[in-house]
Amino acid sequence: MATLIINNQKYELNLKGHETLLEVLRDHLGLTGTKTACEESECGTCTVNRNGKAILSCITLACAVEGEAITTIEGLAKEEILHPLQQAFLDYGAVQCGFCIPGMIMAAKALLDKNPEPTREEIDYALDGNLCRCGGYPKILEAVWQAGREMKKDQELREITEPLELSEALSAKQPQMFL
Amino acid sequence: MLLNPLTFYSPTSLSEALTLYRNLGEVRLLAGGTFLLNSLKLLKKKRIKTPQNVISLKRIKELKEICADQETLTIGSMTVINDLFNSPFLTDNFAILRTVCRNISTQPIRNMATVGGNLTCRYTWTEMPAVMIGLEADLHFMGSQGQSQIISAEEFFRNAAKTDKILTHVTIKKDKKATLAYRRVKKSPYVDIPLLSVFVKTYFTKDRFTNTRVVVNNCVAFAQRDRVLEDFLNQSPCSNGIAQEALGHLNQAIYQTRSSDYKQQMFRVSIKSAIEELIQNRNPSH
Repeated sequence: MATLIINNQKYELNLKGHETLLEVLRDHLGLTGTKTACEESECGTCTVNRNGKAILSCITLACAVEGEAITTIEGLAKEEILHPLQQAFLDYGAVQCGFCIPGMIMAAKALLDKNPEPTREEIDYALDGNLCRCGGYPKILEAVWQAGREMKKDQELREITEPLELSEALSAKQPQMFL
Repeated sequence: MLLNPLTFYSPTSLSEALTLYRNLGEVRLLAGGTFLLNSLKLLKKKRIKTPQNVISLKRIKELKEICADQETLTIGSMTVINDLFNSPFLTDNFAILRTVCRNISTQPIRNMATVGGNLTCRYTWTEMPAVMIGLEADLHFMGSQGQSQIISAEEFFRNAAKTDKILTHVTIKKDKKATLAYRRVKKSPYVDIPLLSVFVKTYFTKDRFTNTRVVVNNCVAFAQRDRVLEDFLNQSPCSNGIAQEALGHLNQAIYQTRSSDYKQQMFRVSIKSAIEELIQNRNPSH
């Protein structure tokens, strides 16, 4: 038995050596938000995040990610509240046929989690592996940029409203004049 | 089912991997998987037999290290491309590796593919071979009986990247005096298949090119040096017109191998541009 950690949930699975992560997600776990298209690492629709980094599930053996934190599109929304990226894609009309969107969002999430204020070039670079056959790139890129702003705001709000633990407060960098 | 049935092994030490490699028949080594898994899928589609065993090297920590001392950069074979890109050790002549990494394929691939996989997959379109030959890198292998072997990148690719050993790490000597340039042309901005890459290294001594290395990779043959061009440059002064003149001194046999006319022209453009960059970087006032 192998343990996969997907969207913070542990799954004990009897994996076969040749099964890709994409197959396990869709066929065994019913997590069909991750799409299957080219199956040869060119389109990016099967993008998921492994330990916070975007990877392609169609060329990842499920056995090879045992014990690692996998996040799929199903793991973003918290109950009824959409992730800022999902909300931005809706608000900015970034979804046309929608097939590429889970991959786009997962690639964008890997970027924004590290850098919520990316430049246009940084967004282009982070999403360079995700194809949209509808050609809806301008709105997708705009949605990612706006989602970053929202995530930054949320982060700042959390920092203001959540009091620091004492140890964190003591170790926080102080202005020179107070030292 | 995308792949034929196989048995997956995930050793946690190099010695364990070597034992498996020695004892298992029909085995392939799995690094990042970006080449191997696509290859296995293709073989399955063509109804060609695929290996029964796959050994993943991913959990072997000793293959992942990047470190540097005063003289040498050491890159573990399982170093992921994006980890190399972000490494603080890429200074001096190693900084060119950042340019190479940045241009490899797409973000998810850069998060998965490894330096060792790029070098040993025997796929002629990969990016690392040209730069490793240019930087005079040494490839360190470990055989299934535990015997180590060091082979220069140039020799490795001259022998068509054939090996029955496990690549453990790559070493490159630090070199503050070299001037470097790298060019890469890809098929399209999205379907990222490198059509060609050009790496040029030289030393400017008294306004002349010396010890120049020109390495090209043309997608139908393994990376190799253009010694005709190197010889021409090494006799040449560093002048503004030299990049154009150099195009009349290419080893045509390299560029004509099944490449169409437009690709040959792309080589000429890339080589000229790389030489111009070398001259510019030597003296910004040019």
